[in-house]
Amino acid sequence: MSIDTKTMPQALPSGRRRPGGAPVLIGIAVAVLLLLALLAVFAEWVAPYDPLRQSLMEALQGPSTAHWLGTDDLGRDVLSRLIYGCRIAVIAAAEATTIAVLLGVPIGLFIGYRGGLWDWIVMRIVEAVVSIPGIMVAIVIIAILGAGLHRAMIALGILFSTSFLRLARGVVLAEREEVYVRSARVVGASDSRILMRHIFPNIAPPLIVQVTLTVGAVLLAEAGLSFIGLGVQPPQASWGTMLNTAAAFMDFNWFLSVPPGIAIILTVLSVNLLGDVLRDSIGRGIAVDADPRAPAARYAAELPATAASAPVPRRDDEILRVEHLQVMVPGRAGGEVPVITDLSLSIGRGETLGLVGESGSGKTLTGLAILGLLGAGVRATHGSIELNGRDLRTLPRSGLEEVRGNEVAMVFQDPTTSLNPAFTVGSQIAEVLRVKQGLGRRQAWARSVELIDRVGIPRPAERAGAYPHELSGGMAQRVAIARALSCNPSLLIADEPTTALDVTVQQEILDLFRDLQDEFGMAILFVTHDLAVAADICDRVGVMYAGEMVEMAGVDALFADPRHPYTSGLLSAMPHASDRNPPLPTIRGNVPRPGTWPLGCRFADRCDFRIAACDRRIPLTGSRRQVRCVRAGEPELEAAS
Amino acid sequence: MTDKPLLEITDLDVTYRDRSLLGFGGRTFHAVKGANLVIRAGETLGLVGESGSGKSSIANTVLGLVPASGGSIRFGDVDLAAMKTRYPPAVRSRIQAVFQDPYSSLNASMTVEAIVTEPLRVHTAMNRAERRDRAVELLKLVSLSEEHLTRHPHQFSGGQRQRIAIASALALQPKLIVLDEPVSALDVSTQNQIINLLYERREELGIAYLLIAHDLALVHHISDRIAVMYLGHIVEEGPSDRVYRAPAHPYTKALLDAVPLLDPAAQRRRRAARKIAPAQDATRVAETGCPYRNRCPSAMARCAQHMPPAYPVEGGGTASCFLLAPDTGGETPGEAA
Repeated sequence: MSIDTKTMPQALPSGRRRPGGAPVLIGIAVAVLLLLALLAVFAEWVAPYDPLRQSLMEALQGPSTAHWLGTDDLGRDVLSRLIYGCRIAVIAAAEATTIAVLLGVPIGLFIGYRGGLWDWIVMRIVEAVVSIPGIMVAIVIIAILGAGLHRAMIALGILFSTSFLRLARGVVLAEREEVYVRSARVVGASDSRILMRHIFPNIAPPLIVQVTLTVGAVLLAEAGLSFIGLGVQPPQASWGTMLNTAAAFMDFNWFLSVPPGIAIILTVLSVNLLGDVLRDSIGRGIAVDADPRAPAARYAAELPATAASAPVPRRDDEILRVEHLQVMVPGRAGGEVPVITDLSLSIGRGETLGLVGESGSGKTLTGLAILGLLGAGVRATHGSIELNGRDLRTLPRSGLEEVRGNEVAMVFQDPTTSLNPAFTVGSQIAEVLRVKQGLGRRQAWARSVELIDRVGIPRPAERAGAYPHELSGGMAQRVAIARALSCNPSLLIADEPTTALDVTVQQEILDLFRDLQDEFGMAILFVTHDLAVAADICDRVGVMYAGEMVEMAGVDALFADPRHPYTSGLLSAMPHASDRNPPLPTIRGNVPRPGTWPLGCRFADRCDFRIAACDRRIPLTGSRRQVRCVRAGEPELEAAS
Repeated sequence: MTDKPLLEITDLDVTYRDRSLLGFGGRTFHAVKGANLVIRAGETLGLVGESGSGKSSIANTVLGLVPASGGSIRFGDVDLAAMKTRYPPAVRSRIQAVFQDPYSSLNASMTVEAIVTEPLRVHTAMNRAERRDRAVELLKLVSLSEEHLTRHPHQFSGGQRQRIAIASALALQPKLIVLDEPVSALDVSTQNQIINLLYERREELGIAYLLIAHDLALVHHISDRIAVMYLGHIVEEGPSDRVYRAPAHPYTKALLDAVPLLDPAAQRRRRAARKIAPAQDATRVAETGCPYRNRCPSAMARCAQHMPPAYPVEGGGTASCFLLAPDTGGETPGEAA
């Protein structure tokens, strides 16, 4: 299960610009392109002069009332030529881009989906074309076809089709492995249907971007080709030929280059901007929150109430103490949304505290917050995180780096991605020892072999030289644990360390954690979604729901006598908790997303025991056993659990 | 439920070839070896195993996504294995699937209506209005409603997406639905909603399920029969309750024992009774003999020589283990461990 990784990105900023972020700019872009189209169509009526009418008497004049943008070397009206140039620009861009798309996309789709020999042949040709400067290829094609605007555009179309081909192929290669393509094949859709109906729409976003880039490139290439006499033939007016004229007469009239230059820049920018907006509006992967702004604001106003939660009793052997931690992520529509609120916990030496919850409960973020590894924009806004008596939140960055690895280490869910595939596992452990403990190369290697042996890997000296992909998932996780323990940390944070493993391997890893804790005496914060795993490994368990702790108790007490309706709901929903024959017990509804939490008890909407008092914020009460429920301990709840 | 098998898998082999650099030669890797399975109409068969056991290969072969390299898969009157992966539409429409990951099994660029009606577009001549009516019906079957038709997958939670996937799988009224880990990507509180939904639809519509999962407890809830796979072999098969409560194969026992109990005290007692297992070396594929013998606490010398045949188990079903052989061959279990 990779629950958290799937849902968190929805709460975190996606890096995507918001459509409608700059409506004024979009309006301008649309206006520019509309104007361009109108001028292209109605050039005869709009242009004040014939663009070809020469008047050598008026050559190279600056802007005047008669000629708003001045005249060129042959005394032709620059404004009129610019307007007629719109037509060339539109034709050129449309023609070349259309050819490029129509040629590149289908071939790319085909070879990407089919693969094999076709793919090999086409890609070798494409590579040959791409390895030669584009303008040279265009010249060669024009040499075959002959000069002139349309022929030049065909040449450019063929040239630019290679980038569309590679784009389409790349997307198909990635998409054809997606499960939805398998689904379509099971349904019985033909290959062409899968390509056109299922895969093609997913090419649209990068395709639109590529089209806008190509339009810009075509406008510039047209200018280049016209300059060497292979594109638009004089005396016809195009922005490219106008620029070239301007270049020749720069010393006499610098202004000549300004109108076509601005025209090209404005057009290209407008097309790019519009392309971005179009791509965003296709809306792939944008999650929609009810209204992320309102709850954040509401929540901030409610903050003082959280102070009512009972403090965690201090203990002598305390390694970690977190008090009233609050973590905010940037909301999608601006502002910040809380993902963890009023979170307090403490772990003693040699103790394992389980943090249990479903996706979006904030349990993984809690671990990352302790390490100071919250992502960009995510920040802890309240509370304290004391490790061995020092508040980590007040430490400077360098202090935190010193703490990480030395005093606190982490084991992640997926050992195959948490280890670097480019280095041997031994060297990855040795590196930590050299950086953090200043050991020499040989010493560090010897120690890492010892550690690999300690985590129960057979033939440690040989295995130290293995790369992560040569190890099974269980072995790789053992290596990750060895690396985490290399500097003898006082706190180990384990984030779903057995979730990616098979159950028989999970059993081995849990045994290993227990065994290592007996020897090293570190405190463990064990994050898991699996209550059974928590029952096995933990001394105490905290149950999180929607960013807050709803219950915290010793492991025996929690499983024998859950006090919070959510805890008892979760327990009875476990597959091996109930006996055969559905309907199996469920908790109705879904875990609310951050930003859509109810103001009062966050579980109230799914709870069978809801009363009016649940609409207020509920503090965590109790000392040894803590529970966040106004009705905890009532006979009715006791009977239900 | 009738006794005539709906799907009968006999001696199924599935192999993959390791492509070498130039595409020639390469090693052949057996994902499934000599598998036998039977699913009757309206019945649920749970196929359980750990990663690499070959359970998904069987699913993919039944679905025609991967060709069988030997054996037969009889489905009604046809042999699916002989067709390789080219199923005629009449066969395709009767076998549908729901996959594990509801985040990538639905096409992000399609609306719910397009996703649910896609099978109808491919297989029927219904017009748009008819398809839409059917889509509304299907959504109701999975407790979603008409208003969801125009939305895109990203607007739904994992559990809701899985409902959409189920609606689409039900569209053609199939006889068999292959469920490949249908709830393992879901939260505990939503898992059971989907399990209940699958169970209710099965009762109503008389569909047979091939349920692929790694969690025996979960499979036990809705399966009539359970088959357990280990390294490409089906090592035990039988009625759901018998396999879950009285497992006969040492691997099935190990699988059940490895899931921690929800009672911490009982779990501590079980843990104390168990010696800490040494780490398993990288899985060795046994070419001859029992695939589990390297890890088996009761392995005997003969386990290395022959693959144990399927012996009948008291209470129903079979298990491929010499412990069940009427004649132990004079060996003491465990001496070759």
